[in-house]
This record gives sequence, structure tokens and C-alpha cells, in this order.
Amino acid sequence: MSELATTTAIRLDGVGKTFVDARTGAPQTVLDGFSLTVDEGELVALVGASGTGKTTLLHIVAGLSTPDRGTVEIGRPRLGVVFQQPRLLDWLPVRQNVVLALEAAGLDPDAADTVLEAVGLTRYAGSYPSVLSGGQRQRVAVARAFAVEPDLVLLDEPFSALDELTARKLRLLLQELWMSRPRTGLLVTHNPLEAALLADRVLVLAGSPARVAAEHRIERERPRSAEDPYLFDLHTRIVAALA
Amino acid sequence: MGPAALFVVLAAAAWQLMAVLVDSVLVPGVGDVAGELVGIVVDGSFAQHLGITVLRVALGFALAFVVAVAAGIAMGRNEFVRRFGEPAVLLGLTIPGLVWALLCVIWFGVGLANPVIAVALSSAPALALTIYQGVRSVDPDLLEMAHVYRFSRTTRLRRLWLPALAPSLFAGARLGLSLGWKVIVLVEVFGMSSGVGYQLNNAFAEQNVAAVLAWTLLFAVVMAVLEYGVLQGLERRAGRWRKAVIV
Ligand SMILES: Nc1ncnc2c1ncn2[C@@H]1O[C@H](COP(=O)(O)OP(=O)(O)OP(=O)(O)O)[C@@H](O)[C@H]1O
Ligand SMILES: [Mg+2]
Repeated sequence: MSELATTTAIRLDGVGKTFVDARTGAPQTVLDGFSLTVDEGELVALVGASGTGKTTLLHIVAGLSTPDRGTVEIGRPRLGVVFQQPRLLDWLPVRQNVVLALEAAGLDPDAADTVLEAVGLTRYAGSYPSVLSGGQRQRVAVARAFAVEPDLVLLDEPFSALDELTARKLRLLLQELWMSRPRTGLLVTHNPLEAALLADRVLVLAGSPARVAAEHRIERERPRSAEDPYLFDLHTRIVAALA
Repeated sequence: MGPAALFVVLAAAAWQLMAVLVDSVLVPGVGDVAGELVGIVVDGSFAQHLGITVLRVALGFALAFVVAVAAGIAMGRNEFVRRFGEPAVLLGLTIPGLVWALLCVIWFGVGLANPVIAVALSSAPALALTIYQGVRSVDPDLLEMAHVYRFSRTTRLRRLWLPALAPSLFAGARLGLSLGWKVIVLVEVFGMSSGVGYQLNNAFAEQNVAAVLAWTLLFAVVMAVLEYGVLQGLERRAGRWRKAVIV
């Protein structure tokens, strides 16, 4: 991995990824010659139809998947990841799930209580994940990702399983995370208003292999409000680009 | 009366009925069997020989467990090892315990190695297979999660692999034990001068059916307590989190 410019946190260059269907053997090129640069402290939202390769992209950035072609430059930042599924250890209580990530990061395990309170799960701290609803489990995953003081935050539809009121609270929590210290982030979402509200830049992905169909920069101070007409206007343009 | 107790009473009654109807020394009544049973318990011979047998099973099983855990994990993690080990495991599964018993008596004579190796050989393949399947069923999504959060090797082992493998480990232990104690009796019949199998052989030589039954019953009860009492208790503890779903 080569030296990165001080302000560049992630650089994907000409990245290609082809999956081969295990049953039919048919190849599918999800990414081809895909390039993306994300600055230090910048939150980039990825929106786009189901199956365009957003999760694939996130997994490449997380180091979980190696591209077939092209180069990936990322340092070794501390990761906070919310996968599309919660991925909790079902045999450990909720709090312990967060504590393990904290301990691995060398942080105070008691920070788990603060973050569980922030996602509204204090009374489930001692429960096993199996008694939680889908949305509650997703909130544990969010708590785990935010708890570890991440340098790079990867969020794959983190709020999609939540009711609107809870989602709003967590969006605010995410804004607060960025206000406490800007971090580099990728946020995959199917909600264009959410993308406009949270991100510094929105990329609309389309096609197969995926390409950037539209790009919007959002220069607005945090905390931002969903009532902001500027963001609402932006969201309509994202929707238009998606169509 | 609980259903289990009811079964014991009915089985004893049916046996007694058969003994009365057949009326032969080859089918002793419940009273005779009970007499033998009390006899071998009171004079200490049961405890002594059972102790020896259990020690042999335990050593052989421990050996099999260590080898099988290593082999099963290696097979689950590495394609070459899997393809290399699979024929051995499948072959091992089909070889009757009796063959291992005979071979070990011939090869290792009357020492402790004979029963221990026979037990290990007969239980290791089943154990390895169960553990291998367990390793394959560990959720790769969780391994990815552990990777991005940089869990240490110890954490991964204790908090991810061990709990995820627990059901296979218990299933393997139960299977291995049940195979092991069947083989140990054979080994002791053929080549040992102590142990439950040796006593069964003595009883057989004297045509003492009551003694055969008494030894078998006691031994079976002890093994059942081990398998269902101890193992199931441990398993329930390890699987406590699962219960949360039902409540
Ligand atoms: N491991 C895999 N093996 C084969 N095909 C895969 C694999 N992972 C992803 N794909 C394929 O790659 C394409 C992109 O998948 P990906 O999960 O990245 O989409 P996505 O944009 O995240 O979609 P969604 O919004 O539904 O989550 C899909 O067509 C999928 O079938
Ligand atoms: Mg996805």
C-alpha cells in the first residue's frame, strides 16, 4: 500500500469485481474500472438500486473482499461497521457484544453503557440478542460501531429496519458522532433524504457494472435538519437521478 | 409415578412374567438378578471393575477428542486437508468396533495401551466428522465481523469458535462415548483380566445369566447417567442463550 496524501482516506482506482454464480457458473461483473476517492473526515453516501454493488463496494473497503482488478488504498483505520445484517454473537448478552468490540479496540468496556443508552437499549443490555426485534438488533450493531471511536465508519443501510422516530434519533446520533470529530465514512442507504441529511457527498450508483450516475456535494453545517428546504430540494434531485 | 419409573416397573414385571412362563435356569427371575446386583455392589467388585473400565474409556476418549478436534478443525478450514482426511474418516466410520477390539488385543496385548487405543480408534472418526461439520457451519458473517473489529485470537476462540462449535462438540462427545463404551467391553472380553467386560466374560463362562444381566444393567445405568446426566447438564448450560427464544 503506497503513501496517501494527507487528506485522502480512501482511494479506489479502476476497481473491478466479478462474481461467478456457484450454480450456473455465469459470471457477473458488479464493478469494473470503478474509482472513488474519499477525503479524511468526509462522509459519502451511496444510493442506488438493489443489486448495483453497494455492499460489494463496502466489503472491499472493509478489507473483507479483494477486488479482481484495480487498486485499493486505505491505511489501517479503526473500523466501525454496521453490516446489512446485525451480525451479533447470539450466545452473548447485548452489552457483552458491544464490550468485546471495545476491548478489542483497547477502550473502556463501560463505554458500552453510554452508547446503549444512546440507542435506547439500556433495558436490554443484559438480554440475549434472540429476544430482541430486528430493529433492536440493528441498533445493537449501530451501538457497537459507534462505541469503538472509529476512524472509518462503514454503514450498510443501518437505519432501514427502524421505525421513523427511532431512525431520526439515530440519524441525530450519527450527526453528533461527526460533530464530536469528523470521521471518514461510507453510508449505504435507500433513503435519499437520509443521504442528503447526513452525507457530505452523495453518489448515485447505477448500472451493471456500477458507475456513478450522479454526484452531489452538500456543504451544510451539522447538525442539519430534515426540514431544511435546501436538503429537501437536493433529495428530489437524488430521486430524479435514481429514476 | 413418573413415566420413567413406570417403564422400569413394567419392564421388570414383563421380565418376571417371562421368567415364570419359560421356567428355565437360562432366564433367571427378577429376584435372582437383583440378588446378583446387590451382591456385586456390596462386595465392591462392581465399583472396582467399573472404575477400571471407566478409566480406560476416559483415556481413550480423551485421546480421540484431542485428535478429532484438531483433525475436524483442519478439515473444516482447509480444502486439501478435507479431501485428504475424508476417506480416512469415512473408512473409519464403517469399520466395526469389534475389528478394532480384535486388532488391538493382538497388537498391544494386555497393557493399558490396548483398550485406550481401541476406544480412541473407534470413536475418533465419528467425533472428527461431527466437529468438521460444526466448523463448516460456523457463520462466515460472524468471522467477518470479528475480523473488522480486530478480535484477538483468544477472543475469537473463546467467544466465537467455542460457542459456535459447542453443539457439535457435545454431539460428538455423546457419539464418541457411546461407541467407546461398546468397544471397551469387547476388548475386555477378549484380552483383559479386569473391567466390566472381563466380568461379563466370567459370568458367560459360568453360564450365570443373572450375573450377565446384573453387570450389564449396572454398567448401562452408569453410562446413561454419564451421557444424559452429565453431558446434557453441561450442554444445557452452554445453550442457555437459546432458551431465551422460547421464554
Ligand atoms: N458472494 C457473491 N457471490 C455471487 N454473487 C454475488 C456475491 N455477492 C454479491 N453478488 C452479486 O453482486 C451483485 C451486487 O450485490 P451487492 O450485495 O453489492 O448489492 P447491493 O447494491 O448492496 O444491493 P442491496 O441494495 O439489495 O443491498 C448482486 O447481483 C449479487 O447477486
Ligand atoms: Mg447491500
